[in-house]
Amino acid sequence: MSSFWVDALFLAIAALYFGASTLFILFLMGRQHATDPSAPENEVRPLAPRLMALAAVLHGVHIVVFSLALHICPVEGIHFPLSVVAMLMGLAYIAMRRRYRIDAVGAFVAPLALATLLASRFVGGGALAPTTRMKSAVLPFHVTMNLLGVALFSLASASAILYLVQERRLKQKRLHGVFQRLPPLDALDRAEHRFLLAGFPLLTLGILSGTLWAVRLDADTAADLVRAGFGYGTWVLFAAVLLLRAALGWRGRRAAYGTLAGFGFAMVVLLLYLLRGKSGTVS
Amino acid sequence: MIVVVGISHKTAPLEVREKFSANAEVLPVLLARLAARPELSEVMFVSTCNRVEVVARSRTPGEEACLLAVNAAREVLREHAGNVRDFDAYMYDRTGEEAVRHVFRVAASLDSMVLGEPQILGQVKEAYEAAMGAGTLRGPLGRCVHRAFTVAKRVRTETQIGVGTVSISSVAVDLARRIFGGLDQSTVLLVGAGEMAEAAAKALGKGAKSMRVVNRSVERAAELAAHFGASAAPLDALEEELVHADVVVTSTGSPHFIVTKDLVKRVMRARRGRTLFFIDIAVPRNVDPRIDEVDNVFLFNVDDLEKEVAEGQKARHGELARAEIIVDEELKGFLAWVRGLKVQPLVVGLRAKTRGVLVSELERTLAGRLKHLPEADRAALLQMMESATNKLLHTPLSRLKEAAASDDDEQLAQALATAFDIEPREEEVDSAPSGASEVAEPSGSAPSAEAERVTH
Repeated sequence: MSSFWVDALFLAIAALYFGASTLFILFLMGRQHATDPSAPENEVRPLAPRLMALAAVLHGVHIVVFSLALHICPVEGIHFPLSVVAMLMGLAYIAMRRRYRIDAVGAFVAPLALATLLASRFVGGGALAPTTRMKSAVLPFHVTMNLLGVALFSLASASAILYLVQERRLKQKRLHGVFQRLPPLDALDRAEHRFLLAGFPLLTLGILSGTLWAVRLDADTAADLVRAGFGYGTWVLFAAVLLLRAALGWRGRRAAYGTLAGFGFAMVVLLLYLLRGKSGTVS
Repeated sequence: MIVVVGISHKTAPLEVREKFSANAEVLPVLLARLAARPELSEVMFVSTCNRVEVVARSRTPGEEACLLAVNAAREVLREHAGNVRDFDAYMYDRTGEEAVRHVFRVAASLDSMVLGEPQILGQVKEAYEAAMGAGTLRGPLGRCVHRAFTVAKRVRTETQIGVGTVSISSVAVDLARRIFGGLDQSTVLLVGAGEMAEAAAKALGKGAKSMRVVNRSVERAAELAAHFGASAAPLDALEEELVHADVVVTSTGSPHFIVTKDLVKRVMRARRGRTLFFIDIAVPRNVDPRIDEVDNVFLFNVDDLEKEVAEGQKARHGELARAEIIVDEELKGFLAWVRGLKVQPLVVGLRAKTRGVLVSELERTLAGRLKHLPEADRAALLQMMESATNKLLHTPLSRLKEAAASDDDEQLAQALATAFDIEPREEEVDSAPSGASEVAEPSGSAPSAEAERVTH
C-alpha cells in the first residue's frame, strides 16, 4: 500500500474520531429531558458510537497495514504504542458503553483517542527501527500488556473524572446547566471499578515481564530506575484502590482520586518511555 | 385593615422557617394566642414548607391600628419561634391592598417556589378551615380568603401556569436515577407514614426493588406498607433499616433530627461505603444537613428539591403575567366590596330610621282605629310596611352602594345622612357590619354562594 493511501486512511480515522468527539461533546452539553430522564433524547444518538466504532476498526487496520509496510511490530517504537492505546481505548469503550451505561464517557474517550492518534503521528518523528534487543518475545509482551492496561486505565480515569464532576454537582445541588446528561453516579463508579479490575492483571503481567526484562538486560540507568519506580508506584496505587474498596468499602470519591493518581503515575511511565524513545537510546 | 406578617422561602432559609412551622397540635394554641390580642379582630395562620404567615385584620381601621396589628402578629411569631437570630431580617409584612393581593397570589401559587404548584391552595384551605373552626375568622378577612380560592381557581383554569407541573416526587425519582441509574435495584425506605410518605411511596415505590416503612406507630407503618406491598418496622429499627436501604425518604413530624451525622457514619461503615440517598421532605427537617459531608451520602431537603423543580419550570413564568391580571381583577372586585362596607352604617341607619317611623305609625293606627283587626291582618300590614320600606329605599341605597364601590360616595352619603338626620358612628366605618349586611359582594367572577351575609 502506498504512503498516500496510508496517509488517507490516517486522515479518515482522524476525521471519524473528530466527528465522534463532536457528537459526544454536543450530547454531554445538551439539556436533559425536563421530566423524563429515561426519554430517548437523553441517550446519545447512535451515530456517535458508530463513528467511534468505525474509527477504532479502521485504526486497527491502519496499525496492521502500517506495521506490515514498515516491517515492525506494532508495539515497538514510539508512536505505535500511542496509536495502539488509542485504538484499544476506543474498542474497549464501544464494547462496554451499553453494558455500563456510560454514553457520556465517549466525550472524553473520543477526543483522547483523536489526540493520541495525532500524537502518534507527530511525536518521535516516525517508527524506530527494530533493534536486536527487541527481538526477544518478552518486550513485546511487556509492552502489549502495559498498553492494554493503559487503555483500560484511561477509561477508568475518564469514568473517575466524570464521577467527580457528577458527585460535585449532586453535593452542591446544581444539576442544571451543562453536564445534565452525565451517567448515573453508581454507573460511573461501577465502570471505573470494572475497568480497573480488567486493567490491573494486565498491568501486573506488564510489571512482571518488565522486571524480568530489566534483570535480563541488567538495566540500571537512572532513567530505567525512575521509570521502573513509577511503574511499581502505578501498580501499588491501583492495587491499593482495589484492595481498599474490597476491604474497607472505599468507593466513590476516594476510589476516583486513587484511580486518577494511579493513572497519573502510568502517564509518567508512558512519557518517560516516549522521551527515552525520542532520545533514541533504546536501553 | 387586613395585614399579613410572616416569612417565606424568599426571605428565610429552611433552617429558619422550620422554627416557625406549626403542626396540627400547635395551630389551635397559636390561633387562640393571636385571637386574644386586642389589636386583632380576625386571624388565620398559614404554615407550609415554604411559608409561615399570620393573616389578620386590625381591630380598628387606620394606619396606627394597622401598625399595632402588625406588631402584635410579630410578637406572637417571635414568641412561637423562640430564639431566632436576625428575626426582623427574615420577616416581611403587607398591609391593606397589598396584603389582600399577597393572600390572592399565595393561594394562586404565584408566590410559590414552584410556580403553579397545586398543593398551596389545599394548604391555605386547611388554614382557613382551622381558623373557621377556632372561630377566629368571621368577617371581611374570611371573605378575603374565600375570594382567594376563587382567584386560585381562575388562575388555574384560565392560564397554563399549572400545566405539566413537575412534582417534588418526580424530581426525587429523577435524582435517584442520577445516582443509581434506576430504582429497579434499589430499596426505598420511608421514615414516617403520613400523607407525604404516602405520596412518596406512590412516586418511588412503583419502580423500586423493594420498599420498607418505619414509623413511630408500627400499626400505621404496617397500614401504609400493606397498601404498597412493602414491609414495616418500628422507628427503633431505623439504623438497621438504613444499612439495607438505598433511597431514604423522611417525613416525620419530629421537631428534632432523627437521622444524625454519627448515625449515618455508623451506617456507612456497615454498608461498606455503598451510596445512600436521603430525601428529607419534612419541615422541621428530620435529617441533619451535616450528613452531606459524609462520602457517598447525598441529601436533598425540601428547598433543594423545590429549587430543582423551579429550575425546570422557568418556561412557565410566561403565564405569570396573565395570572397577575386575574389577581388584579379580583383585587379590584374585592376592594369595591370592602368600600361598600364603608357606607354600611348609613345603610343600616337609613333602613332602621325609615322602618322605625313607618312601624311606629302603623302601631299607633293599629292601637286606635284598627284595633279590631285580627292578628293575621296585623301581620299582613306589617309585612306590607316592610315591603314598602324596601321599595322606598331600593333606589337611594343602590345609588349609594354604586358610589361607594367606585369610592365616590362622600357627597351622596353626606346628603343622605343630613336629609335623614343620621350620624353613622365613626368606629363602624371600615369594620365589618353588625347584623345583616346590605352589601353584597360585587358581581363578576364571584360565585353567588359567596353572597352570604357577613357577620361580625
